[in-house]
Amino acid sequence: MNFAVLIPILIVYMGIMSWLAYYGYKKTVTESDYLVGGRNIHPAIMALSYGATFISTSAIVGFGGVSAAHGFSLLWLAFLNIVLGIFVAFAIFGTKIRKLSLDLNATTFPTLLGKRYDSKFITVFSGAMIFILMPAYTSIVLIGGGRFLQESLSMNFNLALILLAAIIGIYVVTGGIKAVMYTDAFGAVVMLIGMAIFLFVTYQAVGGIMEGHNGLTAMKDLVPQALVDQGHQGWTSMPEFGSPLWWTIVSTIIMGVGIGVLAQPQLAMRCMTVKDDRALYRSVLVGGVFIFFMTGAAFVIGPLSNLYFYEKTGEIALTAAKGNVDLIIPIFINQIMPEWFIYLFTLTLLSATISTISSLIHVQATAFGQDILKTLGVKSLFGSKLNPSRIGVLIGVIAAVILAYLLPAGIIAQATAFWFGICAAGFMPALIGALYWKRATKTAATASMIVGFTVSIIGFLFIHLKESAAIGLSQAWFGKAALFPYPWTHIDPLFYALPLSSAVFIIVSLLDKRTTVTKNKEKEPLIPAVPE
Amino acid sequence: MLMLGMEDGLIAFVWVATVVSALGCVVFGGFMWNRGGDDSK
Repeated sequence: MNFAVLIPILIVYMGIMSWLAYYGYKKTVTESDYLVGGRNIHPAIMALSYGATFISTSAIVGFGGVSAAHGFSLLWLAFLNIVLGIFVAFAIFGTKIRKLSLDLNATTFPTLLGKRYDSKFITVFSGAMIFILMPAYTSIVLIGGGRFLQESLSMNFNLALILLAAIIGIYVVTGGIKAVMYTDAFGAVVMLIGMAIFLFVTYQAVGGIMEGHNGLTAMKDLVPQALVDQGHQGWTSMPEFGSPLWWTIVSTIIMGVGIGVLAQPQLAMRCMTVKDDRALYRSVLVGGVFIFFMTGAAFVIGPLSNLYFYEKTGEIALTAAKGNVDLIIPIFINQIMPEWFIYLFTLTLLSATISTISSLIHVQATAFGQDILKTLGVKSLFGSKLNPSRIGVLIGVIAAVILAYLLPAGIIAQATAFWFGICAAGFMPALIGALYWKRATKTAATASMIVGFTVSIIGFLFIHLKESAAIGLSQAWFGKAALFPYPWTHIDPLFYALPLSSAVFIIVSLLDKRTTVTKNKEKEPLIPAVPE
Repeated sequence: MLMLGMEDGLIAFVWVATVVSALGCVVFGGFMWNRGGDDSK
C-alpha cells in the first residue's frame, strides 16, 4: 500500500468525519438532541446509522472469513438480518417503540422499559447490564479496529487503540447521538460503495453466479478433514444436522446474532430518533439494501473466495490464509481488487469500526448517566458541571481500552454472539411484552430479565464450551471445561435462556394480578394498564 | 439436480430469499413512502 496516497485520503476522510461531528455538536442544544436527536432525524440517516452500527469490522472481515470456512450456510444470518433486523425492527417493532417512547417521554432503551413497567429497578438494572456487559463487545470492536490500523498503516497497536478511542470519545462527548448518526451515515455510504463493488467483482472473477456456485459445489472433496469431522458437507450445503458445526452455525451464529438484533439497545433506540412512522417505513428501503450489501455480500464473497484461490493457487481460502479465518478477506482483496479499491476498503473498515464503537459508547454513556445515575437521583458527579452521560462516555472509552488489553485473542465472534445472546434472553420478552401485551406486569418483566441474564451468563461460564474453556471458571471450580456433555457444549445459551425468560415472563404475568401503571399522567398510555 | 449451482436446496432457497427479502424491503419502503405521517402519532 502506498502511504503517500493513503495518508491524504485518510486526512480528507477524517476531515469530513470531523466536520459532520462538529455539525452534530452545533445542532445539539437540548438533552433530547443529545439522547434521541430531537426525534427528528432523517430516515435515510437513521437507516444508514442503524446499519453502520450493526455492521462492525468483525461482521465483514471476521464473519466473512468464517463463511469462507463454513460456506453459504451463513446466508441464513444475512436473511434474518434483513427480515428481522430491518423489516421487523423498523416496520413492526420500531413503530411501536417510537410511539411508546414518545408517549412515555423515554429517551433510552432502559428508560423505555422502566417507564412502561413503572419500575426504577428495571431502568437501573437494564442500564447496569448495558454498562457492565457492553464494554466487552465495545472492546472487541475496538481491538478489531486497532488490529486493522496496525496491519493497514503499520501503526503501533497501542497508538492505534488510543487514537481510535480518543477520536470517538471526543465526538460522542461533544455531539451526542447527532454527531454519532451523521458520521455513521457518511461511513455507511463508504461501506455500501465498497461492499457493492466487492460483490460484483467477486462474482465476475469466478465467472458469474451459476459458474461460481457450480465451481464451488465441485470443490466439495477439498473440505479439510477436520471440518468434515465436525459436520461440514461442502460450501454449498448446510452442515450435517445435529453435528457440532451445525449447532455452532445455527444456534450461535444464525439464531444468536439473527434474533438477538431485535433486543439490541443501541439499535432499538434508533427508532426513537425519527419523527413519525413514515420515516421508519422509508428506513426499511434504505436499511434493506444496506444490510444486503453488508452481510449478504460478505457471506457470498467468503465462500466464493475458495474457488478463486483454488483456481489461482490450488489452495482453498483457509489454507491460503494459513488457517487464520480473519485474514481470508484481506488476502482475497489484495489478490482480486485493484489498488484503488484497497484504499476504499480501508475506509470501509475504518467506517465500520468507528460507527459501531461510537454508538456503543453513546449507549453505555446514557446507561450510566441517564438510566443509572439520573434514576437514582444523582445529578452530578464529583461536583462536576459536566453532564453524567458525558462522564459516562469517558468511563466507557477507558473501560473499552483497558479491556482491549485484558481480553484473550481470537474472541471477536464469541464476544459478539455473547452480547447479542444475552440481550435477546434478558431484554426480548420484556420488550415484546411492553409493546404488545396489556397484561405484562412489572414483576414479570423484572423476573424475566433476571432469569434471562442469569441463565445466559451461567451458560457462557459453565456450559458453552468455547466461552467456558476460555474463561476457565468451570475448570477451576468443577475440574472440567464444561459441566455437561455434547451437544450442550455447542448449544448457544440463547437456546435455553430465551425460552426460560419468556416462560417466566408469561407465567408471572398471568399469575400477577397487580396493575402496571405508566408514569405518563398527561397522555393516555399507548398500552393501557391492566385493570385489577 | 443442482439449484442455482448449490448442492443443498436449503442453501439455494436462502440465497434467493436473501435477495428477495432485500428487494421486498425496497418495494415495502416505496409502497409505504407517504404513509404514516405526523398524524400517525
